[in-house]
Amino acid sequence: MDKVLMEGNAAFGEGAVRAGCRFFFGYPITPQSELPHYLARRMPEVGGVYLQAESEVAAINMVYGAAAAGARVMTASSSPGISLMQEGISYIAGAELPAVIVNIMRGGPGLGNIAPSQSDYFQVVKGGGHGDYRLLVLAPSSVQEIIDLMAVAFELADKYRNPTMVVGDGVLGQMMEPVELGPMPDLVLPAKAWATTGTAGRNTRNIVNSLYIQPEELEKVNLRLQAKYSQMAKEEKRWEEYRLDDAALVLLAFGMVARIAKAAVDKLRAAGIPAGLIRPITLYPFPDIPVTQAAERAKAFLVVEMNAGQMVEDVRLALCGQRPVHFYGRTGGVLTSVAEVTGAAKEIWEVIE
Amino acid sequence: MAAELQLKELAQRKVLLAPGHRLCAGCGAPIVAKMVLLAASDYPVVAASPTGCLEVSTCISDYTAWEIPWIHSAFENAAATLAGVETMYRALKKKGKIDKEIKFIAIAGDGGTYDIGIQSLSGAMERGHDLLYVCYDNGAYMNTGIQRSGATPLGADTTTSPAGSVIPGKTQRRKDLTKIMAAHNITYTAQASPSHWSDLLKKVSKAVSMKGPKFINVITPCHRGWRARVEDTILLARLAVQTCYWPLYEVENGITRVTYKPREKKPIEEFLKLQGRFKHLFAPENEWIIKQFQEDIDREWERLLKEESLYA
Repeated sequence: MDKVLMEGNAAFGEGAVRAGCRFFFGYPITPQSELPHYLARRMPEVGGVYLQAESEVAAINMVYGAAAAGARVMTASSSPGISLMQEGISYIAGAELPAVIVNIMRGGPGLGNIAPSQSDYFQVVKGGGHGDYRLLVLAPSSVQEIIDLMAVAFELADKYRNPTMVVGDGVLGQMMEPVELGPMPDLVLPAKAWATTGTAGRNTRNIVNSLYIQPEELEKVNLRLQAKYSQMAKEEKRWEEYRLDDAALVLLAFGMVARIAKAAVDKLRAAGIPAGLIRPITLYPFPDIPVTQAAERAKAFLVVEMNAGQMVEDVRLALCGQRPVHFYGRTGGVLTSVAEVTGAAKEIWEVIE
Repeated sequence: MAAELQLKELAQRKVLLAPGHRLCAGCGAPIVAKMVLLAASDYPVVAASPTGCLEVSTCISDYTAWEIPWIHSAFENAAATLAGVETMYRALKKKGKIDKEIKFIAIAGDGGTYDIGIQSLSGAMERGHDLLYVCYDNGAYMNTGIQRSGATPLGADTTTSPAGSVIPGKTQRRKDLTKIMAAHNITYTAQASPSHWSDLLKKVSKAVSMKGPKFINVITPCHRGWRARVEDTILLARLAVQTCYWPLYEVENGITRVTYKPREKKPIEEFLKLQGRFKHLFAPENEWIIKQFQEDIDREWERLLKEESLYA
């Protein structure tokens, strides 16, 4: 199959088009603007709609509307824009609507900068908006994986009637890599019997709602949501293992950082240190399975992130103190390096030895 | 009422936006910002800007090009932030902790004004905060890569309203924000252009001398986004005025006055043809857009003259 050279942000767009998404509502923000640029041209070619809203608040509520009407719909933004969308995201989760949100994370807090970051882990994994809800969160680490995971994102959103967030960063969004697109898939999208499309051919009205005045009624909804999140946790954990089988020092990293960590694992192995890597592909549900399994052989864990230590909390939660969990991170939009990660790992290994 | 402006005297005053900022050569925004600050420099001024080219290029890390106190918070809330500052000032004044006559000016792009910022702008105007809001309107989100905005004119080619063989650029008209602001029945609303510097300075000078909420919309050519020559910034601003695409007028306490009437209204093509973003409009199949453009201008210009005549 022929490969084409594609920019990450364009791949999010093309992946969505190939996943049957025909509605995009967006708003400019660096470093994701190439994604709307791509879809502004691409959507009309496939009979889809590209629409630029007047703000992120408007964009996410357009997503709510289109999702309620049963469309495969997405939006994209970057960290501060995602913050503005949080009310709408909570409503979409509360009303149980499928939608895909791409977040090309940048340095924060505040205006921060436009450099790559992973500092939205808490925001996207632990909620972000109000109420007890969860997003499905996917973290690709190559342009090819962006294409592949966009299809998964829409499938999972439909399967669970839940918003799915796909996270990248400025590096992943703006770098170019060869990708294999394959033929345009001939999709048969699942019917959405719940969608509010009018009552033609039906005697009942469909209702999309997240308002439940009676506490007992709302509690029932919450219990149903929690059951759904438990099912996600049971069925949807995804991860990649690298040289993990005999690893005594286990690194964890997601997205772009996982590629750096992978190179660090090779360096460590070459230096005689039995290192391995777990790369979470789903950030929610967090893939604790390989973590607890690896703990049987591992002496220590090292979590590497482009933030001040966020996913590391989930690793500690998975291990419940069984093994020491170390952290190495860079903040402010600084990309970590193989040398830095290797250095941090060697320090930990020296103590173990 | 503000004193008559003297160019010689103005030239002696300190420029309050320092060189060294990172705006493009030929950018209209710093020209407008400098003029605004110059005209207001009878008073101590506190300024605010939302996210945008002007903001991001004038406050790199610990450096600032602003020779006055200046605040930025986010994209959607320059008016709200400045309203907060102005409220604090009024409270301090009331308590006798401050006695200086300080003026508050927001300088914001069209994305942060027409679109995401209109809610906070409208709120600040309606509540009657004593501040001047200046929009430097370059007709797109230039800072993030030339995406269309509510200020982008009909037919313009932008990165999110790309002109192709089927869709001829932006298919919607721009919104008339100056009219929307005038409809707030605020103290003073005006439209200005850096090409007509004396008119612009007078308007700013008058606005800061008045109490209450004021709004001035200034056309601000951007050669990157307009796909024009770097040296044509002021020429394009002048053509916008001479074609009546950007009429210079003011609404002072409800009374409309056109401050500049071109002796001969130039056809809109003269404004459009210098800009690459309108290049495709000159293809035969898109002639209707130019026609539409001209009709809109003629209708609005006539309406404005009629409105003015009501108060003559």
